[in-house]
Amino acid sequence: MYDDLSQRHSAFRFHGSWLEFARIAFPNLLLTIVTLGIYRFWATTREREYLWSKTDFIDERLEWTGKGMELFVGFIMAFLLIGLPLIVIQLISQGLIFRGEAILAAVMTLMMFLLLFYLTGVAYFRALRYRLSRTYWRGIRGGSDDPGFQYGVAYMWKSVVGWLPIFLAVPWSMISLWNDRWNAMSFGPHRFSATAEWKPLMKRYLLFYLVPFLVFIGAVVFGISMAASGGTPDTLGSTGMAVGAIFAVVAVLSFYLFLPLAALAYYSKYFRLAVGGLRLHNLEFDFRARAPDWILFFLANMAIVICTLGIGYIFMPYRNWKFFVDHMEAYGEINIDDLTQSETVVAKHGEGLLDAFDVGAI
Amino acid sequence: MSAFFDAWHYDGKSAVRRKVEVQIIGRQFFLLETERRHGPFAFSDVEYVTHKEDADVYGLKGADGWRLMLSGPVPTDLNAMLPAPRNYGGWVDRLGFGKAAVAFTLASAAAVAVVLLSPQWLAPLIPSSVDEKLGDALVGDFGGRFCSTPAGDAALKKLVASLDAHPDDLQVEVAKIDMINAVALPGGNVILFDGLVKQARSPDEVAGVLAHEIGHVREKHVMQALLRQMGLAVVLGGIDGNSGALVNNMLSMSYSRDSEAEADAHSMKALGGANISPIGTASFFDRLSELDGSASSSTSDNGIAGYMSSHPLSRSRKDAFEKSIVKGKNYKPALTPTEWTELKTMCTQDRKAKSGFGFDFN
Ligand SMILES: [Zn+2]
Repeated sequence: MYDDLSQRHSAFRFHGSWLEFARIAFPNLLLTIVTLGIYRFWATTREREYLWSKTDFIDERLEWTGKGMELFVGFIMAFLLIGLPLIVIQLISQGLIFRGEAILAAVMTLMMFLLLFYLTGVAYFRALRYRLSRTYWRGIRGGSDDPGFQYGVAYMWKSVVGWLPIFLAVPWSMISLWNDRWNAMSFGPHRFSATAEWKPLMKRYLLFYLVPFLVFIGAVVFGISMAASGGTPDTLGSTGMAVGAIFAVVAVLSFYLFLPLAALAYYSKYFRLAVGGLRLHNLEFDFRARAPDWILFFLANMAIVICTLGIGYIFMPYRNWKFFVDHMEAYGEINIDDLTQSETVVAKHGEGLLDAFDVGAI
Repeated sequence: MSAFFDAWHYDGKSAVRRKVEVQIIGRQFFLLETERRHGPFAFSDVEYVTHKEDADVYGLKGADGWRLMLSGPVPTDLNAMLPAPRNYGGWVDRLGFGKAAVAFTLASAAAVAVVLLSPQWLAPLIPSSVDEKLGDALVGDFGGRFCSTPAGDAALKKLVASLDAHPDDLQVEVAKIDMINAVALPGGNVILFDGLVKQARSPDEVAGVLAHEIGHVREKHVMQALLRQMGLAVVLGGIDGNSGALVNNMLSMSYSRDSEAEADAHSMKALGGANISPIGTASFFDRLSELDGSASSSTSDNGIAGYMSSHPLSRSRKDAFEKSIVKGKNYKPALTPTEWTELKTMCTQDRKAKSGFGFDFN
């Protein structure tokens, strides 16, 4: 039994409605408030159950089988293993500063920072692993047998190497880490292969990187041309001052306008390249959102949150997932008979680490 | 008993979708395909997984990915054997949404109340040895910043003895730090900063502040605050990030105001018992709030913010001290002029004491 995807419009389709989602999100919000936040693990789970169940891949819905309790246990573990030691270390180093042992305190703080840095990397990895292992399609799930400890090391050194040459190697480190992460993952019997390249990303990155300089140069050029058209320097006077003030405002505005735009343009290219480099057996993936789509998406998100005085924030998981699924694409073919159950281990606990560090999805 | 019903089935081993008939035999069932029979399976192993499209999806304990999808009206005899659908999660579904929300609210309020109120009862139960060890660990020799001269020590000792009935369990020191501040720490440690002593215009002012800090020690406020902070960190740990920290600060702030009032009351009583006029303390508060108001113009406002943040100054505090003056009472100065000069110049005379706070403060 073969399924040829080339004849289909899109392999991924989302059938959710925000009204249905609201009936999940509002009770979630209420329960989260009255439980001092503890319910949010179950809230997340309910939202994912809904979003997954409204998502078609080819001819069958996805299933989210994660449990709120798993996320809760993960959070408690993160609190006991990281949160508590952190509080103790902080107390000790405060005592050390009090006693004048500033260097020892600084060393302890540095060690703490390095440990957190490492665990953030591990957390990214394990969150992806958790999500794949709880996602079922036609009774088959994904996962990984790699616990992610080595990825934590790679995360540290690749991030540092990315920053070292005045942040110019960040695209390389982002793509390379994406590939590391996904190459360790599998779905059913098949391993993902991630071979995204970082070089095509450089142009967009330089655009983002150079925005502050470009704005500055633009301002200078603008100023010179204004001065030239305004005549001799002694006629500038008060109009010159006014013009100067205006273009200072324009410069600041364009900085705050262009920088996020350039960042989104970069991220859109990054995500397109990263997903485009992904393969699962005979399946290839593609993410079709381009920079204008991302910009509109973010502007709409901001408008929703602002116009609803923040309440609209509870719809962000819905919006994010819809944006993601609407632009995901898969090509190639799946042999249903070959798609057998994943043999990977299933971790008992959820995204505790990731949750503790407040790191976002994907 | 035997009944048939059409359903879809994934066996969890491959992704092949099977149209099956459910054949119920007592507490077990078979799934019949045209040429195969799956089972028997026990109804007691069946778990509710999720709802998708128009189907309820069931899983089987111990069989990864095993799915039975039932849509349309399910016969009552089959329905009676299946587990109930899950909506919010275990407890909420059992109680019903409204009842659960009320129950959670009450439980949360109770938890917060316990955390806020119990330190008052718990703090006296903490053995004094623990308190002392904590104080020693935190304070030590304060990085060699304590000032000491024979005459100055004697003056300080006299002051403490006049304010407290058991001066032996108190460690009162003057630290060579140019900030207007005084702190009470675990283990009966009270530290007066040299900046405060130098700034004071009479020994009565120092006596009032010192008696206030001794009040914190005697009322066990330090241990209470520690316990409360830890309890709130645990209870509000579920709320993420800033909102939790904000609530935490607000709650502990409102309680520290109560502690301040208690310490003030203790101070007024001690001053009365020692025949020291509270007018000095009142004028000290007065001057501090003036300094605060004109902080930008004053040049010697070193670290007023420190005392202000831990001891919010209000008119009512000053008024309370003024009101505690007993007319016609024969007050005498807290120290003789010679003793006062010795205490005031102790840190200038003691050249061995290190000054400042290491790298944090100048
Ligand atoms: Zn106080």
